[in-house]
Amino acid sequence: MVDKQTLETSSTYTPQTIKAIQQRAELGRYLIRGYGAFRNVPRFDDLVFLTASLTRFPLEGYREKCLTKTVLGTRYAKRPVELEIPITIAGMSFGALSHNAKVSLGRAATLVGTSTTTGDGGMLPAEREASAKLVYQCLPSRYGFNVRDLKQADAIEIVVGQGAKPGGGGLLLGQKVSKVVAGMRTLPEGIDQRSPCRHPDWVGADDLKIKIEELREATDWQIPIYVKMGATRVKDDVKLAVKAGADVVVLDGMEGGTAATQSIFQENTGIPTLPALVQAVEALKELNVYGKVQLVISGGIRTGPDVAKALALGADAVSLGTATLIAMGCNKPVYLEDYHKLGTEPYHCHHCHTGMCPVGITTQDEELMQRLPVEQGTTLVANYLQSIMMEVQSLARACGKSDVHNLEREDLVAMTLEASAMAKLPLAGTDFVMG
Amino acid sequence: MQQPTVLKETVIDCEGLSTQEINQRVKALAAEGIERVKLLNPAGKHNLAVGIVEPIEIEIIGSAGYYCGGLSSGLNLEVLGNCSWSLGENLMDGQIIVRGNASANAGATASGGRISILGNAGARAGISLKGGTLIVAGNVGYGSAFMMQQGRIVICGDAGDNLADSIYEGAIYVGGNIASLGADAKLEPMTAQDWQFLETELNSLEINFAEYDFKKIVSAKELHHFKAQDWFKFKDAY
Ligand SMILES: Cc1cc2nc3c(=O)[nH]c(=O)nc-3n(C[C@H](O)[C@H](O)[C@H](O)COP(=O)(O)O)c2cc1C
Ligand code: SF4
Repeated sequence: MVDKQTLETSSTYTPQTIKAIQQRAELGRYLIRGYGAFRNVPRFDDLVFLTASLTRFPLEGYREKCLTKTVLGTRYAKRPVELEIPITIAGMSFGALSHNAKVSLGRAATLVGTSTTTGDGGMLPAEREASAKLVYQCLPSRYGFNVRDLKQADAIEIVVGQGAKPGGGGLLLGQKVSKVVAGMRTLPEGIDQRSPCRHPDWVGADDLKIKIEELREATDWQIPIYVKMGATRVKDDVKLAVKAGADVVVLDGMEGGTAATQSIFQENTGIPTLPALVQAVEALKELNVYGKVQLVISGGIRTGPDVAKALALGADAVSLGTATLIAMGCNKPVYLEDYHKLGTEPYHCHHCHTGMCPVGITTQDEELMQRLPVEQGTTLVANYLQSIMMEVQSLARACGKSDVHNLEREDLVAMTLEASAMAKLPLAGTDFVMG
Repeated sequence: MQQPTVLKETVIDCEGLSTQEINQRVKALAAEGIERVKLLNPAGKHNLAVGIVEPIEIEIIGSAGYYCGGLSSGLNLEVLGNCSWSLGENLMDGQIIVRGNASANAGATASGGRISILGNAGARAGISLKGGTLIVAGNVGYGSAFMMQQGRIVICGDAGDNLADSIYEGAIYVGGNIASLGADAKLEPMTAQDWQFLETELNSLEINFAEYDFKKIVSAKELHHFKAQDWFKFKDAY
């Protein structure tokens, strides 16, 4: 008789490690999955607000205004992106996502007055139609990238890297490279697409400056140019992006999601969103461009408090990927047998790379796609964005702010030593800042 | 009586003008229905003739910098000089002829049209080409046609190391020596259609195709799929 209570488990060779070694032994290649880092990292949860009492007074919820308007791209563009809220929808490709998921995100963004973003697969006409404000990504692969779509964009985002895989290229396994997806990307149908990690036409920051000028010339200096990076050497990277002429820096921490990458990237590369944000703000301040070059932060942002804390630490806006998919039903306990077919359970799924998404979000399979009707997806995402925006306003009012952008570092303290060190904030109830 | 032909042509002296001013003038002239414009004194400026989507003829008298003719569709561009990096980047349609040499990444990500370089091209010529035709009368450097997706590249001279690494589809013709082929590239016998294509394309540039011993390179398609035994393996690969 085995006594399960007293069975010993190696901390080095955990059940997960054993399984992963055996999978590699069978497959002969690295493992691939969706989502961002699973490891625990210091995050916004480790900070709390010092809301108003006698030293300052709070604003009335529902009665006193708390503004949320957000403008991105004021540095050089003639037509900056004007948003109703400081929450945007991150770039997720048609290909990684189904048609319905893309259109739902576009419509939801439009309903709440924010922008959505294309992805590594070009601009879907239905997405352009659905999105009042659409950011057009310029990625190393340039799949489907062209001057005609460029001229229809409201902003351009040059993707240097992503938080889930900084330094790595895109991946789309064959089962998702449907006829339509392959056509948009000029690839043979059904291939395991591994996209490049470096841009084909420029290499370093000096080249990027000329690339940015090229994009501006092609769009007559009308629309803003964002530069998106995975968070690694944040201070230097942000400074180089600014020097290259970015209007907006988009920084994606290691919690940032993806539809597919090598699991080694998600767990072993980049730094968390919290310290990345703090370093980026410092870099902008050192260059004297804080407020002129806007900062958008992403990676693991899920709730109103996450957004409010990001704004308080100095972000102009945040960008959401995974959370919008969860709002549409990712990991919801429905269609259990389809989760089981993938060898997983609701709340544990990260199998976006397989193309067999049980809830129809990250799939190109006609039948599965039907599980996410556009109306439903739209409402769920719009509701979710609105609800977290209300949470942000609640916190801002409680801090006595009539504009969510007035939240400031001084409103926050840290609950852990790690968060204190990374956010450079005092530990709660003390004057002590770690580091 | 026959009407005398009025050539709708104009000249822009780039001296003292910013890139933005030059491109704005070209675009304004195209919108007015001007058919031909000559750019004098380009002085190696970057981003000349970028984002042109009108069928205008542009002649650059001298050398241009990065991204000459980039992000354009339907223009007809001739450069009487050399070009720097990423000539004709992302071209969708139209024609570009460079009388001199082009530096790295010539024709990067172009999806249509035709880019001809009468001199040599640098490294990574035709990188991520998605369609259209790139012709280099001279040699090309290292890593040319890297990750090319579709279209055709004609190189009359020699090709540097790692030609056609990881190409998906399309064809490359090399008239001279190939230093080495990249991963997943292979030689394939020339067909009558290939010769016909070369004759037509090269004749139009006054190059005698018959002087070259063209070889054809295509994708071996062995890297198109991960080497997993079946779908089940992928499913579990998390
Ligand atoms: C399904 C999916 C697809 C993605 N595709 C892209 C892409 O095409 N281009 C890109 O820059 N980032 C892509 N990302 C990353 C997001 O733009 C964003 O950086 C990330 O999702 C933010 O972190 P979060 O998921 O924790 O919100 C993708 C993310 C997901 C979840
Ligand atoms: S439910 Fe769908 S979207 Fe969510 S992790 Fe699984 S496959 Fe990806």
